[in-house]
Amino acid sequence: MTQETENAGVTAGGELEELLLRMGAGDRQALAALYSRTRAAVYATALGLLQNAADAQDAAQDTFVKAWEAAVRYRPQGSPMAWLLTIARNKALARLRRRGRQQTLSDEEWDAIPAGATVPAEDRALLQRALGALRGDERQIVLLHAVSGLKHRQIAELMDMPLATVLSKYQRTLKKLRVLLEGDDAT
Amino acid sequence: MTERELNERLRQAVENAAPDDLEAILSRCGNGKGTVIEMKKTSSASSGRKRRYMGLVAACLALVLVAGGGGLFYQQAYAVASVISLDVNPSIELTVNKSEKVLSCTGLNEEGRTVLADMGGGSDLKGAKLDVAVNAIVGALVRSGYLDDLDSAILISVEDSDADRGARLQQELVASVDGVLQGASNQTAVLSQSVTANKALDDQAKQNNISTGKAYLVERVLAVNGSLSFDALAGLSVEELRDLLTTGAPAMPIGKDAALQAALAYAGLGEGDYSWAEVDPELDEATPYYEVELIVNGQETDYGVHAYTGEVIQGANVSAMNPGPALPQGSTPAVTQADAEAIAMAHAGVQDVPAVTKQDYDDGALRWDVEFRADGYEYEYEIDAATGAILSSQKEAEPVPVTPNVPAAQQPAQSGGSTASSSSGDIGADAAKTAALAHAGVDASQASRMKCEQDYDDGRLEYEIEFAAGGYEYEYTIDAGSGAVLDHERDRDD
Repeated sequence: MTQETENAGVTAGGELEELLLRMGAGDRQALAALYSRTRAAVYATALGLLQNAADAQDAAQDTFVKAWEAAVRYRPQGSPMAWLLTIARNKALARLRRRGRQQTLSDEEWDAIPAGATVPAEDRALLQRALGALRGDERQIVLLHAVSGLKHRQIAELMDMPLATVLSKYQRTLKKLRVLLEGDDAT
Repeated sequence: MTERELNERLRQAVENAAPDDLEAILSRCGNGKGTVIEMKKTSSASSGRKRRYMGLVAACLALVLVAGGGGLFYQQAYAVASVISLDVNPSIELTVNKSEKVLSCTGLNEEGRTVLADMGGGSDLKGAKLDVAVNAIVGALVRSGYLDDLDSAILISVEDSDADRGARLQQELVASVDGVLQGASNQTAVLSQSVTANKALDDQAKQNNISTGKAYLVERVLAVNGSLSFDALAGLSVEELRDLLTTGAPAMPIGKDAALQAALAYAGLGEGDYSWAEVDPELDEATPYYEVELIVNGQETDYGVHAYTGEVIQGANVSAMNPGPALPQGSTPAVTQADAEAIAMAHAGVQDVPAVTKQDYDDGALRWDVEFRADGYEYEYEIDAATGAILSSQKEAEPVPVTPNVPAAQQPAQSGGSTASSSSGDIGADAAKTAALAHAGVDASQASRMKCEQDYDDGRLEYEIEFAAGGYEYEYTIDAGSGAVLDHERDRDD
């Protein structure tokens, strides 16, 4: 059964609105606070589309710079996270378009999350497997839901997909992930 | 594992993997209200590029050491500056001197030699400039039908002991080949790599009649799945090898020949019973398969053969004269380009504005990508080419162009506006436009709808330039520091 769950640790919308309004007034501390609360969600959005850690890092940076520039025009509309992730999605899509058909086959292109001291091996392995095994929409939906705390309805709006499609893809992807992580005996 | 636990594991993993870039972001955001754009390069912003470079260097070193070469550049033994290989399934290798003149051009396999047959087996290209020779070869590959398919891929490999020169050649060749393919309205993927060869790898390449570049690609696949065989992989096309890499190389695919034989057996046909056969690998699909197209007595039938088991998973018996279930094909779509544009514009509520529309393939389905601008917005649509359904749509306010008319108070202090180049490493918008026009061979007086925007990509300041001239629309990315053409595209301006 599908559930619309709010994830632990996800920041309330009212707090983010407040931060965006303060950013609009030029408050850099508000930008730092927004960054710490939404950094993972923005990165997940970019990573889900770009499947490459370095590109996702660049797109995430661009997102926060754009949010800083645009905050002065931000008007409270009830879903600041969706507003921010729309920027992240657009930045990642722009990068995908630029990447176009040209592809440099450096080793890292095949290594979505490069090994490094900062990313625990277990987390890296989980993300590598999820990114490698899931298809485009599935990857984005499950990451957005898990990391951003957006509801399925909001994800459907963000991705411009029917809610029913998002729900069915989410359920199918969860099942696929369970099999991936637990083996064929997963329920 | 419950849904909640699974979500929590994913959330935690992303939380730990997401880099902390606050300092870099703050350095790009000015002190005032949100209007200032920092254009200077920051060390953190360029870290991604540096990491990628370091990764490549490490990989190259690792490969050399594993092979026991200990840093020996095999190609130094020959007085050749660079070795360039082009691989599709035909494999062709060129050697050039320091002036980038072709010293030799060789077809490494039978298909490569066939492609070069019209060029004296490659000897006609001796003494030619490298880019001219490569363009001639790519043109011949297109004419020979090797790059017809929407999913085709060509691999350009550059082996050069001078890393800087190698990187520059790689970039120039990719842009040049891309230009030839665009001119032919071809959608082949252009893959490129720098290769640090060693004697062992070179010998292995020679034994299998492939280029060192393709051997390097095979090595990458073997690094993912060491149980596969080098010799068997060497027989696959670049497209198949690329798909194996992206899908984690789960097993050895049966190959195009075996797929054809499986389809023929399924249809009850022998070698002489068909007039045309084409096999297209689709190894990156959810169910990896080979699409086999057979024409028998003027009737075309498609078969899907599982890439790893050889089982026919989709198809129809030819004797029943019943075409199989729909498989991705490069055939004429039911929804025309004009229909797709009309659907997108009706949805956006605009009428008859110029659009840039391209055919694209995604998840095995043909679609139209439609882009246009109207009323200060950029619109992008994906339209299903079979049904006309809107698969996705995007509306974004057009970025404020860098123009001299923007009041000085609103201009970023560091960016220098459109014509100035006060900050170090910024040639200015006018010089960037000049570089793009010169590359396109277009006089400034002939260009219309000129648009120039600054962008920050991979920690580097760039200019994105668009203009129209002579029935074409041009898009350029110019490095703001050097004025180099980083990327360019030319489309018919309908």
